[in-house]
Amino acid sequence: MSNWKTLLLRIGEKGPEYGTSSDYKDHIETCFGVIRREIERSGDQVLPFLLQCAEQLPHKIPLYGTLIGLLNLENEDFVQKLVESVHANFQVALDSGNCNSIRILLRFMTSLLCSKVIQPASLIVVFETLLSSAATTVDEEKGNPSWQPQADFYVICILSSLPWGGSELAEQVPDEIERVLVGIQAYLSIRKNSSTSGLNFFHNGEFESSLAEKDFVEDLLDRIQSLASNGWKLESVPRPHLSFEAQLVAGKFHELRPIKCMEQPSPPSDHSRAYSGKQKHDALTRYPQRIRRLNIFPANKMEDVQPIDRFVVEEYLLDVLFYLNGCRKECASYMANLPVTFRYEYLMAETLFSQILLLPQPPFKTLYYTLVIMDLCKALPGAFPAVVAGAVRALFEKISDLDMESRTRLILWFSHHLSNFQFIWPWEEWAFVLDLPKWAPKRVFVQEILQREVRLSYWDKIKQSIENATALEELLPPKAGPNFMYSLEEGKEKTEEQQLSAELSRKVKEKQTARDMIVWIEETIYPVHGFEVTLTIVVQTLLDIGSKSFTHLVTVLERYGQVFSKLCPDNDKQVMLLSQVSTYWKNNVQMTAVAIDRMMGYRLVSNQAIVRWVFSPENVDQFHVSDQPWEILGNALNKTYNRISDLRKDISNITKNVLVAEKASANARVELEAAESKLSLVEGEPVLGENPAKMKRLKSTVEKTGEAELSLRESLEAKEALLNRALSETEVLLLLLFQSFLGVLKERLPDPTKVRSVQDLKSIGAEDDKPSAMDVDSENGNPKKSCEVGEREQWCLSTLGYLTAFTRQYASEIWPHMEKLESEVFSGEDVHPLFLQAISSALQFPLH
Amino acid sequence: MASLFKEQAKLSAYRDRRFSGTQEEFDEALRASTTVYIGNVSFYTTEEQLYELFSRAGEIKKIIMGLDKNTKTPCGFCFVLFYSREDTEDAVKYISGTILDDRPIRVDFDWGFQEGRQWGRGRSGGQVRDEYRTDYDPARGGYGKLVQKELEAQRQLVDYGTGSLGAYPQAAPTNYGNGRRGGGNYGQGGQNRHGRGDYHRKRQRDDDRYGRDNSRRNTDHESRRDTDSDMRPEKNPRFRESGDSDDDGEDDRKRRS
Repeated sequence: MSNWKTLLLRIGEKGPEYGTSSDYKDHIETCFGVIRREIERSGDQVLPFLLQCAEQLPHKIPLYGTLIGLLNLENEDFVQKLVESVHANFQVALDSGNCNSIRILLRFMTSLLCSKVIQPASLIVVFETLLSSAATTVDEEKGNPSWQPQADFYVICILSSLPWGGSELAEQVPDEIERVLVGIQAYLSIRKNSSTSGLNFFHNGEFESSLAEKDFVEDLLDRIQSLASNGWKLESVPRPHLSFEAQLVAGKFHELRPIKCMEQPSPPSDHSRAYSGKQKHDALTRYPQRIRRLNIFPANKMEDVQPIDRFVVEEYLLDVLFYLNGCRKECASYMANLPVTFRYEYLMAETLFSQILLLPQPPFKTLYYTLVIMDLCKALPGAFPAVVAGAVRALFEKISDLDMESRTRLILWFSHHLSNFQFIWPWEEWAFVLDLPKWAPKRVFVQEILQREVRLSYWDKIKQSIENATALEELLPPKAGPNFMYSLEEGKEKTEEQQLSAELSRKVKEKQTARDMIVWIEETIYPVHGFEVTLTIVVQTLLDIGSKSFTHLVTVLERYGQVFSKLCPDNDKQVMLLSQVSTYWKNNVQMTAVAIDRMMGYRLVSNQAIVRWVFSPENVDQFHVSDQPWEILGNALNKTYNRISDLRKDISNITKNVLVAEKASANARVELEAAESKLSLVEGEPVLGENPAKMKRLKSTVEKTGEAELSLRESLEAKEALLNRALSETEVLLLLLFQSFLGVLKERLPDPTKVRSVQDLKSIGAEDDKPSAMDVDSENGNPKKSCEVGEREQWCLSTLGYLTAFTRQYASEIWPHMEKLESEVFSGEDVHPLFLQAISSALQFPLH
Repeated sequence: MASLFKEQAKLSAYRDRRFSGTQEEFDEALRASTTVYIGNVSFYTTEEQLYELFSRAGEIKKIIMGLDKNTKTPCGFCFVLFYSREDTEDAVKYISGTILDDRPIRVDFDWGFQEGRQWGRGRSGGQVRDEYRTDYDPARGGYGKLVQKELEAQRQLVDYGTGSLGAYPQAAPTNYGNGRRGGGNYGQGGQNRHGRGDYHRKRQRDDDRYGRDNSRRNTDHESRRDTDSDMRPEKNPRFRESGDSDDDGEDDRKRRS
């Protein structure tokens, strides 16, 4: 990388590029000296690189803004082009709905205003355009309120840019900026509060809090108004332009040309209610709702940081996470060295955990945030690890209120985190969970953490790691291996089934084909013993042969999959097959889940069979004490979703290829026709058509391009047929899934007159168990058990929690089938209101 | 997202000598790859552990353990095949350099698994790097092979006297596996008939169908027997003692007795 690029990139950082100085003024002057010469030498490279730095290192925007202000003094043309590029990029971002670009480019424009590059009135016009679009959107008559998420986003962008230039705007265009703020207040008064109850990590008194609590936009406006009242003074935004004020005032203002906001789809006036809900879902997918940051630490941990400074630091952290994804070293370094004067480890932990727990999903996989937290623990060993541990403790205390999806991610994160730090944790702090009933959320949480740790490592290692709380060994998964029904015992005579199993094993070792195996089974076992015994012998024996490792399992399934298919061609028999898998691997949750996942992968069992098996009595009784049924169900739904996604991507790619082939084919035909109508001389005689060799080549091209186009069209039709079939199967699956949830919940949920909300469920449980809880209380003196939830109520809470989690996660596939689901499942007379609430909160859509 | 800190250089200056194609084709294969190569793995790490770790990057299509071609036991590397390119990229970005069995593992894009690549290429059967290592690494068989041979040679030079020689047991045979090449495998059959184009194939979910049996599968991951463990400085604490029904059970029984 060339010197000038390195200087631009590293501006504001301690490092070899700028010698010993960390003073922004020195950095800007040094960089300015180099860049101005570089522009004169080969300017075409500087502009795009400078924009790239500003967009991808947004915490340095004030430095880049000031630098550009200085360049404006010497090279107005260059800066004019830069401003035009910023405008063009901003318009592209608006058109494509690129949220991060919109937000950051607006901040950049605000910063350019501070350095006297952009005309204040121009920026006001941008703000007013965004605000006007927002107000129109939420207007019932003129706009489409389903797209309020877009409108909210525009308003957030205006508000979030003000910390970077509020002081200058108030000084230079006070009436105009005041008008903008009043306009935002007016907007908030005509729009609906963004109830986020379905997207909160915690479900504690959700109804009270969602009514009383301000949403993100309202809260942000509050912070900006406080900032304005304090004279726009804040600590978290560097203001290096002030050092150059005397010079910058001589610069020429550049105007921004008007922008145009994207129009939403037309409102669904003639469509169903479900269509309106679908549109809102689409809007939320494109413009994800901002959630107020997780508050796990007491307020005093923020060391009197102003609310607006907390917001700015959060913006910095989220920006680094987004733009430095894939650059581990820089990501950790920038997060640990933000341009602020106060400490922010607690804020950083809260921001990171907010992302891990974010619903419906964070921008990146949980795995990414796991890596970032590990790297920060190593970069800040004296500060950050203790803060992370504090966060874990705080979340553990509230685990029973945590959303099920968020809770699953927390388990995956924590087990993985510990696996990179020798599994060290003060487990004795949590030993008390053994005194809790087996369904208590805290106890189940510890159990599932240990289960995941054993999978990432091995049983003896994890047992060793909990030596300071040996009683927790009770929560470790069983150490025993598979549960093979036909294992031979020394000295005992073989049963007939054992002999058949042994013979089956011998045939496998002799490399007998699946076909021969099927013949033997049909002739020797099935006629004598019937289906169930046959299935048991075959499944148990083949799984046993495949039990040594995953590769063995895969090999058995690949080689003898036809045997399973022949035995279990329909869902009923596949459910029995799954039951046998569960029996064989009853001591190993992981192998059960993987075997079932592979079987679905090889299409030996259907997703419907898996759903039916998960909701069979043996599993239903475990819904509140184990994550196993939910892991298996989640895997099946995920694979189903992935298959559909793959088909959609394939269709999209083939469609593009068809267009290309179509064009090539059309061009070839045009060339041939042109050649055919051309006169040419052959042996001195005038003849119609091009010379024979060329004609032959052109005809060949026409044939080839035509064949290619036809082939692609056939491929496209095949894929579309597959997709249509997959979507039909998904409809059947979703109906089965919701009916299954409804069925088991109906049996166990209390009478609707007793419980109107999830909170009521918790209260009932506490009341019912009060006597025994008090008894336990007096024995151990542990106050945490005084509000214990009963087993049946916890079962209901867990099951409803997963219903919400799965509905939210696969909402995009549920919406197309909503009318059918409403008519066949959701609108029955005996449907429990809590069932409907669980789905409503997930979809952000009322059901009745 | 991040492009500022990534050089527009080659994905890898290294080109696998077994890759039959140009450097350009190699780079393209890496860019489209849905396979990762994992190195610096403990010999004792199991497929179950790798599955648990890498499934957090996305849905796994297959795991193939790298094996010592003589002992047919894991020797410190493996391949993981994903369905999607995005998941593959996430595995490289987020898992490389993290800890598995107390070791930082290395995760890189791979140009594509082909039958035969699961075998170690070192002269002794394991990985080449384990031939020449001079450090002592208990999770990877102790000293490197050359150092082990040197130590063994030195031991034989020492004069123990006529009487004490008889006190030492004869060394257990170490190459009994050679004579049984393919004998214990399930997967005998056709060789991989796909050409170089294999590595260009997109996510092929149809590969899940069990009917395909036209390529040799890696089924030689047999469990470690006591005699194998004796050759290692440390016994594998996770060695499966029970429920290990090896298809060469009879040979095992003879050998153990």
